[in-house]
Amino acid sequence: MNRHALRLLWIRLYVTVMLWVIGRALVATSRVDETVRAELEPLPSGYQIQMRVLPKGPGFVVECAGDGTLVRAGQVKQRPELSIGFKHAAHAFLVLAFQESTAQAFANDRMVADGDVSHAIRLVRALNTMEALILPRWVAERAVKRYPQLPAMEKTRKATRIYALWVKNLLLLK
Amino acid sequence: MSKPYYEFFCPVKIIAGHQALEHLPFELSALSVSRPMVITDKGVRGAGLLALVEAIFSASNAPLAAVFDDVPADSSLATVRKAAQVYRDKQCDCLIAIGGGSVIDTSKAVNILVSEGGDNLLQYSGAHNLKRALKPLFAVPTTSGTGSEVTMVAVISDTDAGVKIPFTSYYLLPNAAVLDPRMTLTLPPLVTAATAMDALTHAVEAYTCLAANPMSDAYATAAIQKVSRNLLAVMDKPDDAQGRLELAQASTMAGIAFSNSMVGLVHALGHSIGAICHLPHGMCMSILLPYVLEYNESVNGQRIGELLLPLAGPEVYAATPQSRRASRAVQIILLLRDNLHQRCGLPRTLQETGKVPLEQLQAIADMAINDGSIIFNPKESDRTELLAVLLKAWGVAMVPAANLPVEVATLAPPAPMHPAPD
Repeated sequence: MNRHALRLLWIRLYVTVMLWVIGRALVATSRVDETVRAELEPLPSGYQIQMRVLPKGPGFVVECAGDGTLVRAGQVKQRPELSIGFKHAAHAFLVLAFQESTAQAFANDRMVADGDVSHAIRLVRALNTMEALILPRWVAERAVKRYPQLPAMEKTRKATRIYALWVKNLLLLK
Repeated sequence: MSKPYYEFFCPVKIIAGHQALEHLPFELSALSVSRPMVITDKGVRGAGLLALVEAIFSASNAPLAAVFDDVPADSSLATVRKAAQVYRDKQCDCLIAIGGGSVIDTSKAVNILVSEGGDNLLQYSGAHNLKRALKPLFAVPTTSGTGSEVTMVAVISDTDAGVKIPFTSYYLLPNAAVLDPRMTLTLPPLVTAATAMDALTHAVEAYTCLAANPMSDAYATAAIQKVSRNLLAVMDKPDDAQGRLELAQASTMAGIAFSNSMVGLVHALGHSIGAICHLPHGMCMSILLPYVLEYNESVNGQRIGELLLPLAGPEVYAATPQSRRASRAVQIILLLRDNLHQRCGLPRTLQETGKVPLEQLQAIADMAINDGSIIFNPKESDRTELLAVLLKAWGVAMVPAANLPVEVATLAPPAPMHPAPD
């Protein structure tokens, strides 16, 4: 295996793990943060959101509970209502390694959104909020267009709850 | 500009110039099609533009196989199905769209049905759900604004569900766009002004938003230069065929630019005003553009400043210090807006349109925050900021605070716009 192939293998592994982590972190954030819940509340119960690397993954699918919270999707629909697809694992890596913001990745044609565009915008804002909460500020600033006004105490409190929920769900295999 | 990665795609053949329409029969024969169906609207027929196309085809012994002239201003799934049925009944083999954005979008959607078969357009909605080439489609724009002749998007209303359905695919792009100044000579002054400002906005947003790239920059700056050099001249002399051609080319260039680098907050707000208050799109663009540029200036002032060159020419650009170029560019656009108001009454503020009540600004901001274009705007926005931009565009500074609704009056008063240019 040459160096280029090894690098791509590592990228694919990183992207697989990160998408696995982010899917669960988004579920946890929707339970902890009211702004994320407000963003996702208009999406009906059973509405599925997919984020994956095209054409066949890796990725995650979450489902709206109808009250703004998310759960991990049990049975994935053949065509989820909203699907965000990275064109290649290398493109996903740029976003998931926080080298490119989600908005800039859209602008750079790294990904394709299939579904209601206004829902995709809501999802991006929810992801931005999650990143601002769980990442150190200097990392999050690279991942979002504008870092929100977020008091340190609130950030610490919510991030702790998100990580705790994430671990709890992991242990319960939820 | 440096850009780590971008994509650019425009396979549409541009047939532009005086008597360009006369080339259309040859273009059909080059693609081995001979039974064209024209899709248009009553306005185009009434203006005698359809008769011109019919005469051109008759003169080359290639009559039109069918004409569907029933496209409304806001096209619907039912209209698309009706037109597709006419196409099938008359055994046509290609489409010619003659009209503005609605007609061209309808034709793209009809092309999906007649190429893929069936009547269920919705299964092809969304992004890139078409997997093969469609029937030949030729677009003849009769306004100089939408750029729809070179975009891969069609928007059709689902009147039952009360929503607009977007279709995006490379296969929706027409095979050719015909820019003939005779098709825009009869445009009324107000429509000429509003559609040209629409084209200007496409170009400005293509250049200043997140997806700008070197290829789209080239088209965008050329389009801006053509609009700023020709719009007022055409307003003063509406039968100036060369000026009309320049505006038509500007519109197409701006269309190519924004089709590849998208649009931003002006369109996000404009789409919402159009949906809620039914204000014509070009009018929204003309009113909002300077205020949004001013809002974005803190984030991408340098890019806005670079537009001073195509907007005002090299002398003004060279004489303006770099730090003042962005605000000067906004001033030039404000001046153009004021000149258009003087010549044809194009509203300068939302208030002047008489169609946008102050009380609806919050609803407009709430809708715009979820518009797809907002993600490409260089500056992250929240509802309060959008409302502040809308208040300026409404002209709220001219209204006594006592007359404002409570929720509006509690907002900080908007800062004054840039002073008028010297």
